[in-house]
Amino acid sequence: EAKVSAAVQTPGSKSFSLDSFSRGAGGGAGSVIGSYAVSVQELLVIDDLLSALVGIEGRYISIKRVRGKDGYVVFQIDSSMDLALQELTRRIFPLCEDFVLVSQFVESRSHFKNGLVNHALAAALRAFLLDYQAMVAQLEHQFRLGRLSVQGLWFFCQRMMSSLNALAVLIEKAMSNNTSGSATLNLLQSQAKAMAGDSAVRSLLEKMAECASAAYLRMLERWVYEGVIDDPYGEFFIAENKSLQKESLTQDYDAKYWQQRYSLKDGIPSFLNNVAATILTTGKYLNVMRECGHNVQVSLSENSKLMSFSSNHQYLECIKSAYDFASGELLTLMKDKYDLIGKLRSLKRYLLLDQGDFLVHFMDIAREELTKKPEDISVEKLQSLVDIALRSTAAASDPSHEDLTCCVERSSLLKKLTTLKDLGCAYSSDKFAAADVDHPMTLSMTGLETFSLGYKIPWPLSLVISRKALTKYQLIFRLLFHCKHVSRQLCQAWQIQQGFRSVKILGTPILRSSILCRSMLKFVNSLLHYLTFEVLEPNWHSMHDSLQKAKSIDEVIQIHDFFLQKCLKECLLLLPELLVKVEKLKSLCLQYATSIQLLIPSIEVAAPEKKPKSGLSKSSRIKRSQERDQQLKLASENVVMSESILKFEAEFNSELQSLIPTLSKSSQAEPYLTHLAQCILGVGIDQ
Amino acid sequence: LDETEVSEAALVRDVLYACQGIDGRYVRYDKGSDTYDLPDAVREPRSTRTLVRKLCEVGWLFRKVRGFISDNVSRLPSDAATEVGTVAQAFCSALQEELSDYYKLLAVLESYSLNPIPTPGSDSGVSSNYLSLRRLVVWLAEPAVRMRLMAVLVDGCRGLRGGGMAGAIHGHAQHGDPMVQDFMGRLLRRVCSPLFEMVRSWVLEGELEDVFGEFFIVGQPVKAESLWREGYLIQSDMLPTFISPVLAQRILRTGKSINFLRVCCDDNGWAEAATEAAAYVGTTTSRGGLGYGQIDALEALVVEAAKRIDQRLMDVIHKRYRFKDHCLAIKRYLLLGQGDFVQYLMDVVGPELSEPANRISSFHLAGLLETAIRASDAQYDDRDILDRIKVKMMDHGDGDRGWDVFSLEYDARVPLDTVFTASVMKMYLKIFNFLWKLKRVDHSLTGVWKTMKPNCIVSSPFYKEGTSIRSQFVSVLRKCQVLFNEMNHFVTNFQYYIMFEVLEISWARFSEEMDAAKDLDDLLMGHDKYLTSIVEKSLLGERSLGILRNLFALFDIILQFRSHADRWFERIYELQLRGKGKSKTKSKETGSWLDGGRKAMIQLAGELFRKMGEDLDSIAKDYTASLDSFISQLPLQQHVDLKFLLFRLDFTEYYSRVSSSK
Repeated sequence: EAKVSAAVQTPGSKSFSLDSFSRGAGGGAGSVIGSYAVSVQELLVIDDLLSALVGIEGRYISIKRVRGKDGYVVFQIDSSMDLALQELTRRIFPLCEDFVLVSQFVESRSHFKNGLVNHALAAALRAFLLDYQAMVAQLEHQFRLGRLSVQGLWFFCQRMMSSLNALAVLIEKAMSNNTSGSATLNLLQSQAKAMAGDSAVRSLLEKMAECASAAYLRMLERWVYEGVIDDPYGEFFIAENKSLQKESLTQDYDAKYWQQRYSLKDGIPSFLNNVAATILTTGKYLNVMRECGHNVQVSLSENSKLMSFSSNHQYLECIKSAYDFASGELLTLMKDKYDLIGKLRSLKRYLLLDQGDFLVHFMDIAREELTKKPEDISVEKLQSLVDIALRSTAAASDPSHEDLTCCVERSSLLKKLTTLKDLGCAYSSDKFAAADVDHPMTLSMTGLETFSLGYKIPWPLSLVISRKALTKYQLIFRLLFHCKHVSRQLCQAWQIQQGFRSVKILGTPILRSSILCRSMLKFVNSLLHYLTFEVLEPNWHSMHDSLQKAKSIDEVIQIHDFFLQKCLKECLLLLPELLVKVEKLKSLCLQYATSIQLLIPSIEVAAPEKKPKSGLSKSSRIKRSQERDQQLKLASENVVMSESILKFEAEFNSELQSLIPTLSKSSQAEPYLTHLAQCILGVGIDQ
Repeated sequence: LDETEVSEAALVRDVLYACQGIDGRYVRYDKGSDTYDLPDAVREPRSTRTLVRKLCEVGWLFRKVRGFISDNVSRLPSDAATEVGTVAQAFCSALQEELSDYYKLLAVLESYSLNPIPTPGSDSGVSSNYLSLRRLVVWLAEPAVRMRLMAVLVDGCRGLRGGGMAGAIHGHAQHGDPMVQDFMGRLLRRVCSPLFEMVRSWVLEGELEDVFGEFFIVGQPVKAESLWREGYLIQSDMLPTFISPVLAQRILRTGKSINFLRVCCDDNGWAEAATEAAAYVGTTTSRGGLGYGQIDALEALVVEAAKRIDQRLMDVIHKRYRFKDHCLAIKRYLLLGQGDFVQYLMDVVGPELSEPANRISSFHLAGLLETAIRASDAQYDDRDILDRIKVKMMDHGDGDRGWDVFSLEYDARVPLDTVFTASVMKMYLKIFNFLWKLKRVDHSLTGVWKTMKPNCIVSSPFYKEGTSIRSQFVSVLRKCQVLFNEMNHFVTNFQYYIMFEVLEISWARFSEEMDAAKDLDDLLMGHDKYLTSIVEKSLLGERSLGILRNLFALFDIILQFRSHADRWFERIYELQLRGKGKSKTKSKETGSWLDGGRKAMIQLAGELFRKMGEDLDSIAKDYTASLDSFISQLPLQQHVDLKFLLFRLDFTEYYSRVSSSK
């Protein structure tokens, strides 16, 4: 105080006017400040300082640009000034330099291209600078009243100095990294944390962060509540890839729509880091609903509105509730309006052979077409057969039966499995080579091996039942369908052999053949039993149960995928070693059935045509049976037949036996194989 | 007093003047550097000079803004008013309002500047509301930001009008600064209100209230029939960015529907629909009820209005103008869907059409058409529809027969001629001609059958003749039969394909779409699809010219066959008559001349059969060649599904076997 008054007293009686000094200085440009008395020097330097505080050069204080660093300036003072005064003045310079830096930042970041966050930050900084300028004006007032000394100025600036310095540090970082959007927000947050010790600065920086994040908040709000990306300057952390179309889900095996249509970008604001994934899915759900033409209105109560990112974590609650709302809404939409469960059930009905009458009817009418080679099969014809089968069986009452399509592939099941790399199975190239050994078999491949049903999946459901999922269904279908075919063929062979029941067949190859046929039938049927009752049914039911409990569509997708993967695995489709063996067995059965069907009718034809006449005498009947017996005896001595039966028997038994060690070996790791072993081999595997 | 001495108070006053764009005593506008500055003659310290220059930036900006306003406003009363437009007017008035706030501030500052700047010692009685340059910096900081924004807008809007201007201003509203947002929101509400008003009156009343050509929809004076297609267009440079193209399209269609109802359908029911829509949305239907930032409200209004008015339009089109009935009528008469009518028409006009084209009277044909209508089930059809069917004779050249120029026409009348435009009718004509030709071929084949059949029975006398002539006759007849059957197979199946797989399927799709159509555009699109699918599938499209030529060649061969067949059987018939006469006389008397006559007849017959056999062979050869190339071209027509046609034509795989054996 004394100093201030002293400074004021010094000019004494001389009427004090700043103009007089300025005039003096302006007149004599050469006049150096050192030529004045110290008290005058102080007055002059205060006037200059007041200019310098708002970034303007004065008479004795000049501004030098720092070379190579844009926007940085250094203040310099006339060296002829009183040294003590010079020291005192220099102490204030950092404040001036900071001001210049900050105001330049404000100017440059208000330009449109710099993004909303920078705009908001610049606006907040501008408000702060306005305070600062008001302070300078106040100091000037004091100065005009003659109450200000350099020392006083220094004292009054103290409060501003630390704040402005903190801002300058912040801006320096922002400028050097040229941050925008979330990077700016992150910087603000980290800076506020770094300055935690200084409560005034900290609260200032937090206020800045809050102002800057307001713009960001609006974007977040629109995304979380409407699913709209309203982001003119590309600051938001969610990117939309418009090139991914939802149609790809039903066409492309490797469709990335759900994973990559909306994705997280690099710059996630650190305070949202933990919930970024939730935010992303929330908007994604909303978008799905919008694509369905379902208008969602999030009921916004006041306290659920996103207010600020302040530390009370209210925003986390908001995001959580928005997420719950969106996922719940989408799930009900999927389940109720689009009948997801119904579709899954319908898929199971047709593709997992749940509906018996349809399949049997279809196999009956399509047998002729399916026995052709895959490239000769007319898909249109098959489609019309499928339609006929659908309409004439219980499937007709199913509303979604119209969606069923059919397709014929070109490659065998094994080959197809090797091409699907991502199934997580052990089909290595040498395994593929092993499968290729059966190449002659693939040459004689018919539509029965390659036929599979398809299903038209409409848009929102294709999220769950994507092309990939459908392909998995088809893989299982092909396996089941072929097993069914083998079983039917064997049944036919069995039927033919029933013609010999009346005949003494003891010791003939027919007997052996019957026994072989029975064991083959047992094998195929227990395999089918295992596949359907031990694998598909329980898994489907457990999936159904967990679907009821699912909370979000992502969970639904996960459950469904898990179900499919499990089914694939337990259906042996992922165990090439076993599958190859099973396929081998099946093909043996088929060959056997075909040869029986060829051989036995030839015997019947060889038998003389003897229509039983009414009132046949006993003796003639006996005679006839004897004749027939004779005939059969002859036939059974047919070398071709007995040899081939023996060959089949040997091969089949050895294959079946070789299955035992494989099964018992693998069942350590895969417990479900024990069931299979019990089913197929009829006994525990301990023998 | 020294000229170079300037007191700070004087400078403050000058700066305040400069801020209003007025040259002060010291601070003047310098044209060269385009700034307000102190002249070099005034000696002032560097800091003061910088400060003055900084402060005067506001003045410079102000000049710019005011220049823009006066440029636009001053022209208002004059003829040039048409140049400015309501959006620019609204923009100017909004700017003016902002400026008046600014003037108020300046007035306050002016009064402050009168207070003396305190000096040490004048401690007491100093008003704190004095102004120094530094204080002015604080005062003017915020107005400067606003002024700068206005100047940016003014620069951005120069040369733009109407919707384009609104869009440009909207582009500047994407700013994160709350103050800027506030300001821009206020401004845009004013600027867009005329535009929104235009949208409102367009959507609800169908009026283009657009004196200055600022709206993004422009009307063009056109005839009623092309009102829908060409009457109104979207001007993309006037479309503000905040209205999405989809919404703009919907807005366009709604107003267009109203105008269509008013002009073409003479209907007033839309007014109710519009009021209903407005009431439903709940926005005030009065002027100025909508503003910027209420895009949702606007969209809701447009959607509701569009829904109701389109519904109304569809009702009128379907119920009052019976669109579907007319489409069906066209299908039945022009696309030969009504079998008995077509059959009868062919029977009656057939002989007439064989005449050279210039000898045919279209009046006579019209009479025949009427006869055909009366004779067939068509007579029970609505009179209004029947009256619209007309005979049309196309331009004919030398040597054209009636067949080449005859066609039917359907008179659609307003408002249905929006759908059935001249070009659409031309397509129908093309299809009709094709179908008519097909029908004619079919008809003439039936004619062949008709002449062949009785001849077969009557020509039994030949069997009594010598074996050689008999076997000759049988073989010729057989050849003829085979060829006929082959042709008949082709024509029947092709006709089946056209009728059932082209016409009926296209029609079924179209009628589905017709029922689902929500607005006239849907309907037009559905109809276009219907027509193009018929054209494409009946091989009339651009891409199937080659195969069509082949098809016509086949038709010609069949017609040729018919005329030959007629001639042959005429001759055979003659011979028979002679033979009959002879056999009668033979019983009464025997003479050498009779034998000679018989011989001559047999000889004649032999010659005829030989000639016939040759002709038949050549026709059959031509026919087979044409058919082969037709069938081989069928699979090349990738753009249409001809699998079933091919399958039907070649169901025994006869042709593919023949071609593969070659």
